[in-house]
Amino acid sequence: MVPKEQVQASVKQFILSEFLPGEDAGELETTTPLVSAGILDSIATLKLVTFLEEQFSVQIDAHEADVDHLNTVEDISNLVLSKL
Amino acid sequence: MDFSWTPEQAQLRSAVAEMAEGELNEGLAERDKRGEFSREGWRRCAEMGIHGLPVPEEYGGASAGALTTVGVLERLGYGCKDNGLVFSINAHMWTLEIPLLAFGSEEQKRRFLPGLCSGALIGGNAMSEPDSGSDAYSLQTTAVLRGDRYVLNGNKVFVTNAPIADLLLVFANVDPERRPSGVTGFLLERDTPGLTLTRHVEKMGLKTSPMGELFLDDCEVPARMRLGKEGAGQNLFTHSMTWERSCILAGAVGTMERLLETCVAYAKGRRQFGQQIGKFQLVATKLVDMKARLETSRALLYKAAWLRDQGRSIFLEAAMAKLQISESWVQSAQDAVAIHGGYGYMCEYEVERELRDALGSRLYSGTSEIQRSIIAALMGL
Repeated sequence: MVPKEQVQASVKQFILSEFLPGEDAGELETTTPLVSAGILDSIATLKLVTFLEEQFSVQIDAHEADVDHLNTVEDISNLVLSKL
Repeated sequence: MDFSWTPEQAQLRSAVAEMAEGELNEGLAERDKRGEFSREGWRRCAEMGIHGLPVPEEYGGASAGALTTVGVLERLGYGCKDNGLVFSINAHMWTLEIPLLAFGSEEQKRRFLPGLCSGALIGGNAMSEPDSGSDAYSLQTTAVLRGDRYVLNGNKVFVTNAPIADLLLVFANVDPERRPSGVTGFLLERDTPGLTLTRHVEKMGLKTSPMGELFLDDCEVPARMRLGKEGAGQNLFTHSMTWERSCILAGAVGTMERLLETCVAYAKGRRQFGQQIGKFQLVATKLVDMKARLETSRALLYKAAWLRDQGRSIFLEAAMAKLQISESWVQSAQDAVAIHGGYGYMCEYEVERELRDALGSRLYSGTSEIQRSIIAALMGL
């Protein structure tokens, strides 16, 4: 089982590098809203889902690529961990 | 990757091509002029199981994988010159059956999917509006919950199958302040009060595929007809569009093969300056390029379908397949007209119609520019 902290760190790193380049890493908390704050738009969501599937060898179902499952690093990590 | 066909797949592909060639092309030139949809053709394709290919058997479908599905649709496009009919079938499958399958309640799926698979029901979706095309989620149509019903108001354009549809997936915003996160899908039956088909739209090509506009005037939709959760519209549309982009031009790959065969035969039979025109390098080059476009298009089509069958998300591959096949189809149809010279410009040779039918593929399911934007983003740019 991959530790939750490891999943969170990986997701956080991806979001910082892809969607928040140059931002202070400390500003991105595990509870920072991503979808509702507009950080994850429709294209960014495609990139994130592709990353999660490749990085963790999981399959994200169509109905899971939404605000309920992807709005925060915490939500995303929980979704990934539920599939490992 | 293994793209070889099993005996069963090969048999189905062959049967579909044979049926299409023998039964779907009669009177097409006249029907194209009149903009007439072929209900008989629709029925025959449904009888062959085409409409329900990717739908599980328990809902009336064939439980075919994505690769089998595109393989069969490819042969439909090869045998059937009625590109409008093929387009209508695709709209029905990817914009309604697939989202209904993924997001529908058990009750919704059992109520509608068997009829959609058998062809008894004709479906489509309504997303585009006069002021929202590529920027789809900026739609203005609203849905307000009142008791056990949503009241929809708005206007939809470019709705494939609208004039003949029994069931439509209509997108509206339940909370415009949430912008894309408020977009929600609703299933509307043709006789829903307040739903009006305002006009039948004439197009440049795909004329045998009816297209219309919708007007929603205090249109009352039971809450049980919402597809998925409130705000799931973006997710639902992405799912639908990914299937659509990866599959909708499977038929065009077959069409390109048929066009190529027609052009090679013509280039061998037509003589100018004392020899077959195919012996002229400038003509041969066009045919070689048509062949290369056909093979690269087919490879991308099959790869995307194969990856989907492996359970992978295929956002990038779907956009690449859509881009490559649509651009190839248009260029190859243009080359086909050029190879036929003046005859290619004449309606009776039926080559000019192929070009008119191909051009829309650069626009629907996301323009080529949008596909390039998606691909660039997914490349990390």
